[in-house]
Amino acid sequence: MLAVETHQLTKDYETKDTFLRAVNNLNLKIEEAEIYSLLGPNGAGKTTSVRLLTGLLRPSEGGASVLGLDIVKNAQEIRGKVGLLTETPAIYERLTVRQNLEFIARLYNVPKKDIRHRIEEIIDLFDISEKIDLPAGSLSKGMKQKLAIARAMLHDPPVIFLDEPTASLAPESAKIVRDQILKLAKTEKRTFFICTHNLFEAERLSSRIGIINHGSLIAQGTPSELRELKKDETTTLFRFDQWSKEIKDYFETNKLEIVEMDTERKIISVIIPKIEQDTPGIIKELIHQNHSIVEVKHEFPTLEKIYLELVESESVPRENHEEEES
Amino acid sequence: MNWQRVWAMIRKDVIEFTKSKYVMSAIIGMPLLFAIIFPLTAIMPIAKIDPAEFESADFGQFINNLFSKAVSNWSSLDPQAQTLVMLAYSMFIVVLMLPIIIPAVTASETVVGEKERKTMEAVLASPMSESEIVLSKIISSFLPSVIGTLIAAIGYIVITDIIVYPFIGQLLFPDLISMVLVFIFSPMVSIISVELMIMISTRVTSVRDAYQLGSLIVLPLIMLVVAEMFGLLFQSTITMIAGIAILAVIIFILFKITANIFDRERALVKMV
Repeated sequence: MLAVETHQLTKDYETKDTFLRAVNNLNLKIEEAEIYSLLGPNGAGKTTSVRLLTGLLRPSEGGASVLGLDIVKNAQEIRGKVGLLTETPAIYERLTVRQNLEFIARLYNVPKKDIRHRIEEIIDLFDISEKIDLPAGSLSKGMKQKLAIARAMLHDPPVIFLDEPTASLAPESAKIVRDQILKLAKTEKRTFFICTHNLFEAERLSSRIGIINHGSLIAQGTPSELRELKKDETTTLFRFDQWSKEIKDYFETNKLEIVEMDTERKIISVIIPKIEQDTPGIIKELIHQNHSIVEVKHEFPTLEKIYLELVESESVPRENHEEEES
Repeated sequence: MNWQRVWAMIRKDVIEFTKSKYVMSAIIGMPLLFAIIFPLTAIMPIAKIDPAEFESADFGQFINNLFSKAVSNWSSLDPQAQTLVMLAYSMFIVVLMLPIIIPAVTASETVVGEKERKTMEAVLASPMSESEIVLSKIISSFLPSVIGTLIAAIGYIVITDIIVYPFIGQLLFPDLISMVLVFIFSPMVSIISVELMIMISTRVTSVRDAYQLGSLIVLPLIMLVVAEMFGLLFQSTITMIAGIAILAVIIFILFKITANIFDRERALVKMV
């Protein structure tokens, strides 16, 4: 069974004067125990997608299921089975950390006898046990975020939606959260659906990444599959023992695009269109011309570069809408 | 209806109320003020006036009929004692308005306050049904108003009886009407007030807007309490029971309407 599946999922916001298609024909298939990240700029449709999948919003067209349950017909059941970290931590600042967690445990029907144990387990997991009896309002921004993540996972949901999970966390706290996500996906087969614009995080965590812009999914795949999309932009760096003008002449004569050249460091970066086929021949020819090669390495385009190019190529003005998304 | 979830929400709201000085001043401070200040500032001065200053007063047939039902020796009381009885009852009306006034604070705090503090999304994302959310918000807004009213009513009754007893030779309160008003009529009107406030709260985005609209809605309810206090509504036991039944039906209908108009999507999109 798929953890999440959408078919042409669409969400429109309409008022008297405005129309906005926030999510446009979204098609996703996310396996159980998968970590799927949805990347996109502000207002791309990430938060709306999560709200649709957690039964908070009704789709305008298309449909979706979570754990085999229809998001319209079984919305309440879905809400009980998934965990959700909302865009803002949404914690009760007047309540203590413990009271916040107890409240959520009761809302999600955690058996009374298990509540205490489960709270202790989750606060240890996210390193907030020292703050357990403090008012949540007195916590730092990062601690509040950790409390909100702990709350989303308190009832042991098989599918967890996290909207910008590490947005306000210090690097060490972000690492704790990432490690827990990886651990839970691997050892307890939890499925994670993460909305983020943190490319590093998406690449480190995700088995697959979707890139969304203007409500439409514009690319999807594993990090390496996404790199394949811009394979023709992979550069090959050559470093030589001695630099000579002939090196540059060789690449120019062979009509290879020079991306970077540094005569002091004795390096040159070029784009080789048929990279796998032609690289050995180029090396052979340079050696044949008595150039001593110290290093050759392919430099694949970064996910950031791929993301930015994809998003920029899709940039068309959006109609106004009062909802702001991250 | 999942009662564990409903009670969890009520418990959470009550804890939040106890940590808000603003809400606590409405729940505890206002009733105490009503219970102590009114008898001492409105009734006590009349008791202190020299009886000679009270000329023979004719309060009219309506007043005489009204209070002769409540005080057996009304016609034999001197004008000062009669004035004290009238004032004691009049001030009691204000105390009975508390269950209508307090929900304006608690209901707007618990619904619009959640929207303002952006905590509502966590509730909306939970497995609570719309009915469970509405019911829990009604109960958590209603409970403080009932507690506040009881505090105020008991305080008021004790202080007023202490002041008035020497003049009329009997305890003015508690009597049947006041008890029905405190324990049945006014809690029921309070629930109606809470339901109306929650209806408003689901449609507005700021606590201030909720107060402003709420204050308009509670006016007819206040008139209802005043009318009953002067015996204009429940003339007999049968009309009283019928009135209570009508209020119960109104409570049920308003609950259904509130639960139906409480829309998750609207609450969420309006919140952003």
